[in-house]
Amino acid sequence: MSKKININGKDVSVDVDENMPLLWFLRDELELTGTKYGCGIAACGACAVHLDGAAIRACVTPVSSVIGKKITTIEGLSEDGSHPLQKAWLANNVPQCGYCQAGQIMGAADFLSKNPKPKEEDIDNVMSAHICRCGTYKRIKKAILEAAADMQEA
Amino acid sequence: MNLQKVNRREFLKATGMTAGGLVMGVTVPMSLHAEEGETGFHPKVFIQIAENGDTTLYCGRAEMGQGISTALPAAVADELEADWSRVTVLQGDGDKKYGSQATGGSRSINEFFIPMRTAGAAMREMLIKAASQSWGIPESDCYAELHFVHNKKNKKKLSYGELSSVAAKLPVPTKPALKSKDQFRYIGKPLTRHDQDEVVVGKRTYGIDTKIPGLKYAAITHVPVYGGKLKSVDKTGALKMKGVVDVVEVERIKSPFSSLGGVAVVADNTWTAQQALKKLKIEWDLGEHKGYDSKTYLQDLIKNVESPAEKIFSRGDVDKGLEEAATRHSASYTGGHLSHSPMEPMASLAWVQDDSCEIWASTQNPQQIQQVIAIFLGRKEEDIVVHVTAAGGAFGRKGKCDYVHEAAAISKAVGVPVQLTWSREEDMRTGYYHSINAQHLEAGLDKDGNISAWLQRAAFPSIGSTFNPSLDRANERDFTRPIAHPYGIANYKLESGHAPAHTRIGWYRAVYDIFYGFATNVFTDELAQKAGIDTLTFLRNIYDNNKDPVLAKSASRCRGVLDLAAKKGSWGKKMPKNHGLGIAVHYSYNSYLAMLVHVETKGDDIKVHRVDCAVDCGLVLNPDIATAQMEGAVVMGLSLSLREDVTFRDGAVVNSNYHDYPVLRHNEMPEVHVHFVDNDESPTGLGEPGVPTFAPAFINAIYAASGKRYRSIPIKPMSV
Ligand code: FES
Ligand code: FES
Repeated sequence: MSKKININGKDVSVDVDENMPLLWFLRDELELTGTKYGCGIAACGACAVHLDGAAIRACVTPVSSVIGKKITTIEGLSEDGSHPLQKAWLANNVPQCGYCQAGQIMGAADFLSKNPKPKEEDIDNVMSAHICRCGTYKRIKKAILEAAADMQEA
Repeated sequence: MNLQKVNRREFLKATGMTAGGLVMGVTVPMSLHAEEGETGFHPKVFIQIAENGDTTLYCGRAEMGQGISTALPAAVADELEADWSRVTVLQGDGDKKYGSQATGGSRSINEFFIPMRTAGAAMREMLIKAASQSWGIPESDCYAELHFVHNKKNKKKLSYGELSSVAAKLPVPTKPALKSKDQFRYIGKPLTRHDQDEVVVGKRTYGIDTKIPGLKYAAITHVPVYGGKLKSVDKTGALKMKGVVDVVEVERIKSPFSSLGGVAVVADNTWTAQQALKKLKIEWDLGEHKGYDSKTYLQDLIKNVESPAEKIFSRGDVDKGLEEAATRHSASYTGGHLSHSPMEPMASLAWVQDDSCEIWASTQNPQQIQQVIAIFLGRKEEDIVVHVTAAGGAFGRKGKCDYVHEAAAISKAVGVPVQLTWSREEDMRTGYYHSINAQHLEAGLDKDGNISAWLQRAAFPSIGSTFNPSLDRANERDFTRPIAHPYGIANYKLESGHAPAHTRIGWYRAVYDIFYGFATNVFTDELAQKAGIDTLTFLRNIYDNNKDPVLAKSASRCRGVLDLAAKKGSWGKKMPKNHGLGIAVHYSYNSYLAMLVHVETKGDDIKVHRVDCAVDCGLVLNPDIATAQMEGAVVMGLSLSLREDVTFRDGAVVNSNYHDYPVLRHNEMPEVHVHFVDNDESPTGLGEPGVPTFAPAFINAIYAASGKRYRSIPIKPMSV
């Protein structure tokens, strides 16, 4: 009986050392490379994915702890890139190199689902868990506010 | 002639693509890196209009998040009257056929702009001619618009696709007419970038993401001290681990861009490789730099600049000027080593086989990879194929491809394709760091408060030392910027202090301009206070008093950005208690920058409320990208002003990850407003020039708010 994780709606069998962090399982075993490695110590947010809808750091989450659970990665956040955050990201030309952005979007998606009407201050606090070395913070904040407004209307 | 049609065979050879329609090759005439003895026609960029109208640009410049792959295609598309949605850009693989591909020094835009426009205009004229011939009417009765040539007389039109093959048979016009500024359709307008859609769905492939069949994964640990080497390694524990393929010793080779030396583990996945690394029992021979302590070293540098040093440049008579001055002032300034720390750590995929070598890498310099690996393998450069992937940030670090040499060495040893990923810790400890630095400035003011003499001594290990370790101080080249400094002070002298390198020094976004811009602007602010003159007025006087014709233009453009920043940031307005404004101006990489920073201080708590950046980069190609560059520069500037500090102890870097090398985060992001000077100067790059003005404007603002004068950055170093 093989152990499974549901990743982006598909059941995936786990046949690796279960101590392996989810990050490397996604990237090297499943070749889902949208989730990025930045620090490996939960300090940068590049590896953010959702566990049953809540953002976690894949780099410090052993595979063993998510068996039988539902994981969503950036590749599964929406079918076609139509999540309000993804749209707002494009509308504001947020990415520079783009490397940190999957993590930023996953972090923001979790945040917005809990705080549909975010205050700027809350965005600053929560998003400070994510590093962008290119310095796109200003646009990230703007995009989150726009996406929030967009979701309110819908 | 920098423009030629390219035939089917040449095009295939150069790009691996099938030609069809009209293909043009463009060379870059003022290239700073034209190959020695290069003769004949060597296009650096190819532009194709296929028979279905699809328009493709093959260019070799690495992307790096600077949007260059949007700004330059926009230049072509504009003159070509192409429909932007039909234009795609392909990144060239590393090869001389694309010309030098090194990205850096903000040169890309400078070099490519006019050639790109000319190419687009020439192609447009050829398409018009093709249409006029097919209609049998004069060219003057035709015009091009958005991928069609129109007949003015009867509203008929022919698409670029339909015309492309006919146009390909026509001669290339020698002097195609370029548009005037008011005719631009794309240049200077916000345009969607080509590469963003993939980013938000996680589909953009960086160097670290490359996969090919049969791939194994490697992790590496490096010799902790520059110049050290491996003494012994016990591999037993690592080799016993399930999933480990092999342990490989990587040696340094004779190239400044080769591995520092280390031991790598190859395994079925990155995590196993990282775990196995910890099982290695390694002894290093630490070598001659094992005593390097950056804190002590900085004290030495300060001593070296506070006494006479080697003369680099002088004008007038500084000693006399200082003696005769009504008021004198002196101060010393310092800055520490910095790490680029791009979010994507160093990573590369290499597959070395007996008769081939293929590389995939995030790199700012694919040709250097060819050179280094050719030396390493004893093969010809052209036999090394380098695929350039998107880079997850670089800031200069990925122009030095030691990590690629390592991937190749590992792949060669194990005989399979290997993806090498450095851990963040290795990235932090195995860099090519920004120079630690000290400067001493002395100036004299005349009775009206004008600067009459200026002495500037700097000591910092130079980038040159990475190539030639015997260099023990910065030389004239390293002083290019202060030599041409737009103040143009009559009695002026520059000296270089003793500063041997104990680690690898490398280009870091804006390079030496970071500390030159810092010391010069902070010192100027201090001088203004000495003279009892408002800093803005003081700076205006300096630029207005400049009598040196060589510097006149840069002085007036500096004055332009100064005025713009002062106006937009409301210099002189009444500030609440503990609030202050600071201003700084710097000219680098042919662009002019002024920043005005508003801070509030509460004890040691410093909050940046607002930054106004005034930019003169000539014609602004894409205002949105240019603005993003400035926002990024402010973040980097604030980050290095506050906390970034690479510390060496016992020869090795003490910092290890983002927790002890803290970079700026969201909560400290100030409000940034970017303003462009509107002029007709030719466009210049903006990747780097934004960085140097931030720190001094910030430090000056803190002084205005609190009366506390900082002279060392970072101001809040972490003790590690
Ligand atoms: S890689 Fe997981 S938080 Fe940085
Ligand atoms: S966009 Fe480059 S790190 Fe965020």
